[in-house]
Amino acid sequence: MLNPSSANAPSRDDLIDALLLKAEVEAFNEAYASALDEQRLADWAEMFTVNGFYNIISRENYDRKLPVGLIYCENRGMIRDRAFALEKTAMFAPRYLRHMVGNLKVAEAVDGSIDATANYVVFQVLFDRPDATIHQVGRYIDRFVREEGGLKLASRICIYDSLLIDNALCIPV
Amino acid sequence: MGFRKVAELDALRDGGVTGVEVDGVPIALFRMGNEVHATHGICTHALAFLKDGYVEDGTIECPLHQGVFDIRTGRALCAPLTQDLATYAAKVEGGAVFVDLDSASESPSDAGPLEEVQVAENTGGSSLPLVIAGAGQAAAAAIRAARAAGFSAPIHLVGAEPHLPYERPPLSKEALGDAFDRASACRLPPADVAALGVTFHPGVRVTAVDAEARVATLSDNAQIPYGALLIATGGTARRLGIPGDDLPGVHHLRTLEDAEAIAASLASARTVAVVGGGFIGLELASAARARGLKVVLLEREGELMSRLLPPALGAAFRRLAEAHGVEVRRDVAVEAITARDGALALATTTGEIFADTVLVGVGLVPETALAALAGCEVAGGIVVDAFGRTSVDGIWAAGDCALHHVPLDGRRGRLESWRNAEEQGAAAGRSIAGDTAARTEKAPWFWTDQFGLNIQMLGVPGTGNEVALTGTDGAAGAVYRTLADGRVTAVIAFSDAAAIRAARAELVSDTPFDLAAHGARLLAPQETNPTPIDPEEDDMSASPDVQFAKKYVWPQEGLSIIPDWVYTDETVYQREVERIFHGRTWNFVALECEIENPGDFIRSNVGPTPVVVARAEDGTIHVFENRCAHRAAEFCRDLSGNAKEFVCPYHQWSYDLKGNLVGVPFRRGVDGKGGMPKDFKPADHGLKQLNVTTHRGVVFASYADGMESFPEYLGPEVLREFEATFDGRKPKLLGHYRHSLPGNWKLYHENLKDPYHATLLHTFLVTFGLLVAGNKSLMLADPSGRHGVMASAKSDTTHIDADKKKEMRAYKEGMTLEEPRFMDFIDEFDSPWSVTMATIWPNLIVQREMNTLGIRHIVPTGPNEFIMKWTMFGFEGDDEEMTRHRLRQGNLMGPAGFLGLEDNEAIKFVQDGMLGVPGGEHLVKLDPGTEAGTADTLISEAAIRAMYRHWRDAMGIA
Ligand SMILES: Cc1cc2nc3c(=O)[nH]c(=O)nc-3n(C[C@H](O)[C@H](O)[C@H](O)COP(=O)(O)OP(=O)(O)OC[C@H]3O[C@@H](n4cnc5c(N)ncnc54)[C@H](O)[C@@H]3O)c2cc1C
Ligand code: FES
Ligand SMILES: [Fe+2]
Repeated sequence: MLNPSSANAPSRDDLIDALLLKAEVEAFNEAYASALDEQRLADWAEMFTVNGFYNIISRENYDRKLPVGLIYCENRGMIRDRAFALEKTAMFAPRYLRHMVGNLKVAEAVDGSIDATANYVVFQVLFDRPDATIHQVGRYIDRFVREEGGLKLASRICIYDSLLIDNALCIPV
Repeated sequence: MGFRKVAELDALRDGGVTGVEVDGVPIALFRMGNEVHATHGICTHALAFLKDGYVEDGTIECPLHQGVFDIRTGRALCAPLTQDLATYAAKVEGGAVFVDLDSASESPSDAGPLEEVQVAENTGGSSLPLVIAGAGQAAAAAIRAARAAGFSAPIHLVGAEPHLPYERPPLSKEALGDAFDRASACRLPPADVAALGVTFHPGVRVTAVDAEARVATLSDNAQIPYGALLIATGGTARRLGIPGDDLPGVHHLRTLEDAEAIAASLASARTVAVVGGGFIGLELASAARARGLKVVLLEREGELMSRLLPPALGAAFRRLAEAHGVEVRRDVAVEAITARDGALALATTTGEIFADTVLVGVGLVPETALAALAGCEVAGGIVVDAFGRTSVDGIWAAGDCALHHVPLDGRRGRLESWRNAEEQGAAAGRSIAGDTAARTEKAPWFWTDQFGLNIQMLGVPGTGNEVALTGTDGAAGAVYRTLADGRVTAVIAFSDAAAIRAARAELVSDTPFDLAAHGARLLAPQETNPTPIDPEEDDMSASPDVQFAKKYVWPQEGLSIIPDWVYTDETVYQREVERIFHGRTWNFVALECEIENPGDFIRSNVGPTPVVVARAEDGTIHVFENRCAHRAAEFCRDLSGNAKEFVCPYHQWSYDLKGNLVGVPFRRGVDGKGGMPKDFKPADHGLKQLNVTTHRGVVFASYADGMESFPEYLGPEVLREFEATFDGRKPKLLGHYRHSLPGNWKLYHENLKDPYHATLLHTFLVTFGLLVAGNKSLMLADPSGRHGVMASAKSDTTHIDADKKKEMRAYKEGMTLEEPRFMDFIDEFDSPWSVTMATIWPNLIVQREMNTLGIRHIVPTGPNEFIMKWTMFGFEGDDEEMTRHRLRQGNLMGPAGFLGLEDNEAIKFVQDGMLGVPGGEHLVKLDPGTEAGTADTLISEAAIRAMYRHWRDAMGIA
């Protein structure tokens, strides 16, 4: 849709629709990043559909079609469980995180769902170190659907390039 | 052949001894002014070179057991020698020394102390025979001495064993090696029996004595009237007196037959448990280690030989054994032995131990029944005077069955030693012959050969004595003096014969021992380690091992304290790489399913060292270093792939799938110039190849040659758990995780040998009822302590009793998961456990967390960091739902796992906690009832202690 080499130049309306859609997805990603940065994990869980799929998978596994993921949730119930367990039971050192999302590409599929990809970077700051480390670098492969409250993730696969994780991944990406 | 020039006179030290070799025969040359004498160079007792001996007053004293020979005649002058030394004609001409080998004196066995026997008319006042009960070493000594003193009546030697008297010390030494000649141990060869007029009754016991009538009754019903009766009945090996102490494979040692049975059993055993840490136990352990067997030594007391030696000395013997790979466990009593699964299971006060062979060395029971029957006074041994006379007229006693005639360390006791049997036997023999001249007392002397050292002890140490040390504790050259009121009571020298010689004067000296003048230091009574020495002060000539051993010393408290340097020190880490990862270990490198086809390879690591695991065209698996033989480049950069060959990108050296060098560009140079040297052989410059083994689809590599098989390496208990997970189904790769952990690699093992943390750190488990303190569980440590399995069985959480709940701070009723099915357990394994974490030394953890299966592969990168590579798998034949179930359950573990992330954080916290505090220590005291090993409670750190016992051993840290 935003393909500049397309034979028929898109109409202005199409372009505006595309920009609006992109803006909408961008806004979603910003809200998503904020929820994680602020460690509002319950809010984060609600950004998925009931059957929402969420997987954080290494690029190594993804490229070799190996399914193992760091966090592997097949529906929102599991995502809520993850959020709940992290908030209520998990022990890890306090930290600040910044999720940066960019290079967004959006495409509307025939069934009305929206396919998108974006790059992400997660910075992590531990309280006893001066530096923010790049905790993870990767790419989202997403499918959004529109529900009453707006966009929801029907699937988000986070494919991380930084294969060697620094110790532990405590907060989702 | 005649005289041959063998040396220049000037090369020989006057008054000294020099060793030369003539036609392969070792010769000892003795220079006395301008005269030279030559003898055979090897002692007639055991294998010792006389050139290392000590020359004094025309005699040479053997360095090993202090046998003394006359230099001119070769005569054997004292115990333990029984054979003379061959001598050779020697002359000096024109400043050169000549020896005539053909002139050898009579074969030593034909000569010998027999020459002394002049059969004079001396029957000690009676012409009735001498009857000797017991044909052992004391008997032999008595016979020689009696005859030498002119005793002329008949001698009846009655021996319960079918053998002529033989000496027992070799039974726990040479006899357990390969080339042992029974005849060499004989103390009274057949020729001497005849020459000395002895009637030998083999296989017969003296069963009764009528002391009034002076008649001895034998087990063959013969009755022999005697003029003198010598009881030299020795003793028997003490039994354990527990169920199973008579099972096949459980051995005691006293006789030749016992020794031969032990030698045979060692030939087929892999693991040996030695019960009893006395001299014989230690010698047995030494013999087993010399065969490369795994040896655990169990001592009931808190220190070895605590009833014989001060604790600091017992500790020295212990450390010597530990340094030679013997695992010494103290405060452990064996309670029963059972045969199980083709091995012997020893139930001990601290848990179960498995071994193929059990060698018992728990002391001697003196054979005093006959003496008691005859009416002799017996008090833990037959009471005798300096002449061997018992309280009954006409009856003498000598050797192991008799007490020493002077109190030892304030008590009357037996001296169960070779020298004592000789001396008491000889004293009795002389006295029976009527020779009652008093002899000057010699200090008791004892020797033991173990772990390559010849250890001699002169004098009688008191268990409460102070101990002064010169030299390095527990090593060759160490000399210990036990002191009472500052005076030397005994000297124990580790391979230092000269010290024993010098000690003779010290023992009779009236002046207190001068510590400073000897450069000696006192060992604290409970000191189990020498004080660490600053590296700066180190003797620079000391070997790196010695320097290391001096610098890194485990705390005195023992295994319940772990010093921080174990986790933070660079030198310790380097040694771990060398001794553990590159040492005698099987290291995980891959699952076979990752390299299914010829040409498939993956990058892996053995310790920190990068390796490539590849399958060659012929289907074999090869592991070689990922380091070009040319300029060390780590040539293989892909994590996995398929290749026909490996080519180093830098200069295009190429290697085949087995790691052999096949191509070197411009090897012959260009235009006849340059290139490799002509003698360069590619076959010599392949990649460093490791030994490979596989078990149930898992691939292991080792730098060490001649490793035991993988099942042997694991031991039966851990193998059982390994095979419960790798149950024969073909593993199927599901993917990897990799993360770096800012902690020492051993902390990860400890985390999984620490069941204590499970319900405390992982509140998730408790909150959602996955693990509660009441669950059935086990923390297994293998007998070596290096491997372990933490296991638990999932139980129904609906009825947890209130008490248990209260103890678990995190249990919150009403907290439930929306999708609890990810914690379902599908019982697919033949195992009572739903969760097992097997820690397989040194670099593998096999995770079977219900149905989520994973390999965790430890790759250390330094003391303060390691990388963990996870290989998650399922099995061929899993349907899609099963695979998904494994993936869902995978949320528990890994770098982001509900449990996994907490362990990672905890390990980081531990390392952080050490970095800022110098000289710190950890406390691992939980469950003192089990010193180290398998615990029957989860509130235990016994498996961690077991691991460190092994680690110290592997690292040579005393
Ligand atoms: C394995 C081993 C290693 C040793 N190593 C050392 C060492 O390194 N250094 C050291 O100094 N010492 C060592 N010793 C100790 C030393 O060997 C003994 O002290 C010595 O053998 C004692 O000699 P003995 O004549 O008193 O008894 P033994 O040599 O035991 O002889 C006694 C004999 O009497 C027989 N007998 C018993 N009752 C009767 C009866 N009623 N009628 C007839 N016969 C009977 C027995 O069967 C036996 O053959 C060792 C001992 C053993 C067993
Ligand atoms: S080897 Fe010489 S005395 Fe034993
Ligand atoms: Fe844990």
